[in-house]
Amino acid sequence: MDTFIQLTVDALTLGSVYALIALGYTLVYGVLKLLNFAHGDVFMVGTFIGFGVLQLLGGAASPNVPVWALITIITLAAMGGCAILGVVIERFAYRPLRDAPRIAPLISALGVSFFLANSMQLLFGATPRTYNTFEIGNGELYFKGFDIGNVRVPLLRIITIGAAFALMVALYILVNKTRTGKAMRATSYDREAAEMMGIDINRVIRFTFILGSALAGAAGVMFALRVPTTVAIGFVAGLKGFTAAVIGGIGSIPGAMAGGLILGFAESYTQGYVSTKWSDLVVFSILVAFMIFRPQGLLGRADIRKV
Amino acid sequence: MTDSTPHSSDTPASGPAVGQDEWVARHAERRLMRGGPLAAMEERLRAIPWWAWLTLFVGVMCLLPALSSSGYVRRVGFDTVLYMMLALGLNVVVGWGGLLDLGYVAFYGLGAYSYALLDSNQFHLHLPAYAAIPAVVAIGAIAGFLLGLPSRRLHGDYLAIVTLFFLQLFQTIATNGDSIFGHNVTGGAFGIFTVTPLHAFGHTLVVQHSGVFAVSYYYLALAFFAVIYVALRFVNLSRTGRAWRSLREDPLAAEAMGMPVNTLKLMSFAFGAAIAALTGTLFASLSASVLPLTFYFVLLITVYTMVILGGSGSQRGVVLGALVIGPLLELLRDPNKSRVIFYIALVAGLLFAFRLSRRLGLVAVATLALGFVCRAIAGAIHHSWVAGSAKGGFQHVLSYWLIIPRHLAGWIPPVTYIGVIGVALALTLVRGRLRLALLPPTLYLAAFVWDNVMLTQPDPARYIVLGLILIALMIIRPNGLLGERRVEIV
Amino acid sequence: MKKGISLFLALAATAVVAASAQANHRTAASASAGVSCKSTFTLPFVTPLTGGAAFLGQEQMSWASYAVKTLAKSYGLKIKLVGGDTPVEQGATPAQDLAQKYVGDKSVVAILGPSTSGAVAASTQTYFAAGIAHLSPSATRTDLTKTVGGVKEGTPAFFRDVPGDYIQGPSDANFMIKNLKVKKVVIMDFQEPYSLGLASAVETTLKAAGVSTIRLSAPNTTTDYSAYVTKVPSDADIVFFPTQKPADAQTFAQQLLEQGKKAKVFGGDGSNDSTAFKVPGSYVSNFAPDITGIPADKALVAGWQKANPGKTVGSFGPPAYGAAQILMSAIHLACKADHGVIKSRRDVLRKVKQVSIKNWILGGTFKWSTKSNDPLNAKFYIFQIQQNGSYKLVG
Repeated sequence: MDTFIQLTVDALTLGSVYALIALGYTLVYGVLKLLNFAHGDVFMVGTFIGFGVLQLLGGAASPNVPVWALITIITLAAMGGCAILGVVIERFAYRPLRDAPRIAPLISALGVSFFLANSMQLLFGATPRTYNTFEIGNGELYFKGFDIGNVRVPLLRIITIGAAFALMVALYILVNKTRTGKAMRATSYDREAAEMMGIDINRVIRFTFILGSALAGAAGVMFALRVPTTVAIGFVAGLKGFTAAVIGGIGSIPGAMAGGLILGFAESYTQGYVSTKWSDLVVFSILVAFMIFRPQGLLGRADIRKV
Repeated sequence: MTDSTPHSSDTPASGPAVGQDEWVARHAERRLMRGGPLAAMEERLRAIPWWAWLTLFVGVMCLLPALSSSGYVRRVGFDTVLYMMLALGLNVVVGWGGLLDLGYVAFYGLGAYSYALLDSNQFHLHLPAYAAIPAVVAIGAIAGFLLGLPSRRLHGDYLAIVTLFFLQLFQTIATNGDSIFGHNVTGGAFGIFTVTPLHAFGHTLVVQHSGVFAVSYYYLALAFFAVIYVALRFVNLSRTGRAWRSLREDPLAAEAMGMPVNTLKLMSFAFGAAIAALTGTLFASLSASVLPLTFYFVLLITVYTMVILGGSGSQRGVVLGALVIGPLLELLRDPNKSRVIFYIALVAGLLFAFRLSRRLGLVAVATLALGFVCRAIAGAIHHSWVAGSAKGGFQHVLSYWLIIPRHLAGWIPPVTYIGVIGVALALTLVRGRLRLALLPPTLYLAAFVWDNVMLTQPDPARYIVLGLILIALMIIRPNGLLGERRVEIV
Repeated sequence: MKKGISLFLALAATAVVAASAQANHRTAASASAGVSCKSTFTLPFVTPLTGGAAFLGQEQMSWASYAVKTLAKSYGLKIKLVGGDTPVEQGATPAQDLAQKYVGDKSVVAILGPSTSGAVAASTQTYFAAGIAHLSPSATRTDLTKTVGGVKEGTPAFFRDVPGDYIQGPSDANFMIKNLKVKKVVIMDFQEPYSLGLASAVETTLKAAGVSTIRLSAPNTTTDYSAYVTKVPSDADIVFFPTQKPADAQTFAQQLLEQGKKAKVFGGDGSNDSTAFKVPGSYVSNFAPDITGIPADKALVAGWQKANPGKTVGSFGPPAYGAAQILMSAIHLACKADHGVIKSRRDVLRKVKQVSIKNWILGGTFKWSTKSNDPLNAKFYIFQIQQNGSYKLVG
């Protein structure tokens, strides 16, 4: 039972990060019908921005500001930095290809992904970086927390899971309750019609990239608070986020959240109860099964194509 | 949800011809507007039949070992021929079938592993080449067919995802294949290191003589290449080839016209996979080893860059793409050659942008002057700012123009690198005089970054170049060097 | 099409220039029969400089270049160190291409590396056939220097200055059995050759001694080991964690503490990094005592740190320094024997085994084993991490 609770906590931590990444894929896919392969690398850059700002603030061992402010500042910095990066990528790598055949932006996205990962290695090297959150106040983020049965849920995980859910709720409100959100949904539904209705498509798309990339930046910090980061993690993180988006139904925001959590649970329980060695295989098989038997995902709309 | 392909039904009469979209048509128009001697030359070159080109090309390639006795040159030549074969195979799926296959290199790996299992100490099988090669090709084709099955239901991006996960699947199985139900099949992460070279009728194709790469494998690869090229050429001209093109242009219309769309997709997958598997055979027998990570994302990106650069859909194009990218990646390993390539690319780029106009002279003079001034100022402030190593002729000349500090402060690489990207991107936004004025500082900064930041780490730098080629090409010339005008994936 | 042609012409021009540069280089080099010791030798370092193992290669490269910078003069040599990139993601091809490149380059008389066992296996035949000594500072796969089950992958031209897995695995396991009196051990591997070799060696020895073992295997792309931590039983004594990323060992140890598990992390030489792996009570084994604790190395470490500001001394770098030193010494001996002109690379190869180095960077004097191309009397040292984060020698 304890193992089960522990694995569930693991799954939630993992899944909430996946969900944040998946949201970025889904948002962009929604308005542009583009698989943004570079998204995983934006996430990676986010982990590094967080690391850099953390060092500027004195490092985890002797921060110049209180702990809550420290985590807030690095999260906001990563979100801001990634948002700018996202806008730049959209403006220069995708916008010129908006009306091009569909393969063009996909390939451009592959190029951006490759470019970002290698540029980061050029500038910052391949050594893994860690935030050293364990050193904050003698490990209080790891040892304090609340108990479920015999299992303690530490503060750091509560922060990770809580922040992720808060962001998701904020996003949900933003998309469903604001005018900009309405414009996004309209664009996602039918871009040309939306344009004819007087919606500024460029603004909507830019806004979408800001949202998606900022979420990736936040995910990056949530991830790197607990786990070391390297310049090479973008590919795998992107793959996981993208799997989550597809499971949930790409284009659907609640779907991405659900997909992220499902993927987290699948991974965690597989490693816990089935096999560590073949855990990747199990996860991919779930995905492929979804692709073949329910390509629109859990919550996605069936893809009806009008000609 | 509407299809993203714009304006297929409401094209105005003066607009593009049936079957083309507007964006492509405008592209073609712009091209036809120009004329001049180059266009005339192009017309004449077009008149030469394809088989003459091929013969000439293979003939020249055959001369390579005669030009250089270096095993390295031959080996790079061999690798390039393998790349050309891989690009030809990918072209069938992406360029002709119009299916975005991100699992392509898994078939290459599958071929290599299949040969390794049939010809190594792993199961103590040592099949002769005439049995092993057809077997591997058949395995590749069947695997391609099987992966193609889900593609009947999926299109576009979804297909890309499934194929990408097929690549992951292949990786996972190859890496963990050392205990499949207790049997060691693939050698796991250690790979298989006892693969025998190709052999038949008691003869073995030697790989090397006293450490130097023997030419036999090179010629064998070249022969395979020529056969594949000719075979694909005929396939492309056949009914199947035409059907593929119709599938690529518009799967729905093709289906409506009675094309067996599913069969065509499966065939395209199977063809590409079989070629990749055949290439894998050559690779495994030459390397004498297979390792799982060989067949992964970097290779995928490399082959895609070749196909896109050359022009997806065009056989000549993808071969040219492989011929450019393969050796380019090799040359960029060496800082001295890399520097030469950079300045040639810079000059070529300027010529390409300005032709031989007054503005070109202006920019060139301004850049040179700017360099000397900056260098002089930096030198006057502190000697160590310009005291970087000056070895070799070219660099010696260069050190009068470029600031090469002895030590780079830690903040310089990120700031200048991000700076040069920023300025270059800004350049694409401004026009006219402002652009002209911004150009010399950008060029100088680029030269500074290349020499001081990129050259110190050739290895990420090579891949950065690859990524840049992909992005820039998509924006400036999506149909590649010799591509057909349109490749649409729906 | 016009654009295409002009682009193509530009590229063709590039290729021609590059090729002619290459050709000139080659003819100049092959004109003389031997290589004068006054000329500049190229010393390639074949190691992963990009990809997932780049941190290892970059660290080795920085130490090798420090060795060349500080020692070449004292051996009377002019050495140009060049990096040969063999990303682990690209398998045998880069290693074999580079081997061809170096075999064809007359100014290359010896090779540093290949750093990874896979790259050694892929290219050692080529180097052997060309008579080029290649000395790896980190390829520890046992069958590169010894015959295992009738297979020996290495050739007589391959050397390594660190002991192989056949020493590290059993000595780690024996330490657990004798000193720590373990009952239950969790053994991890990361689905790449380094950890698989060590994990298997440790598992075999532990099982033979009747210790109960649990084997867990993580894909080499794993970043979050939470579920693995959860799987560690609360009565396990040790988690053997042979990673090449010290930061991962650190995180794993922290997560064990987080979950209140008593098991300690036991890392191999790959996690020997006192700045990145410092959870008190953990164990680390290494082929050398921590060089920052060797008095004779003080100036050396300080010099390296000055040349590499902001970097920390890891465990992969110092043997690379040593390897460069051994090769320069061998070239120096060959130069002396051949009166200033190295007639053949085999002359250098023959001298490698005669090299012995006093004040070896890893402590004591370096000598070769007489039986195989391994260092003599190589042993593994085991450290326990103290409260203040320092490594204390315990076995």
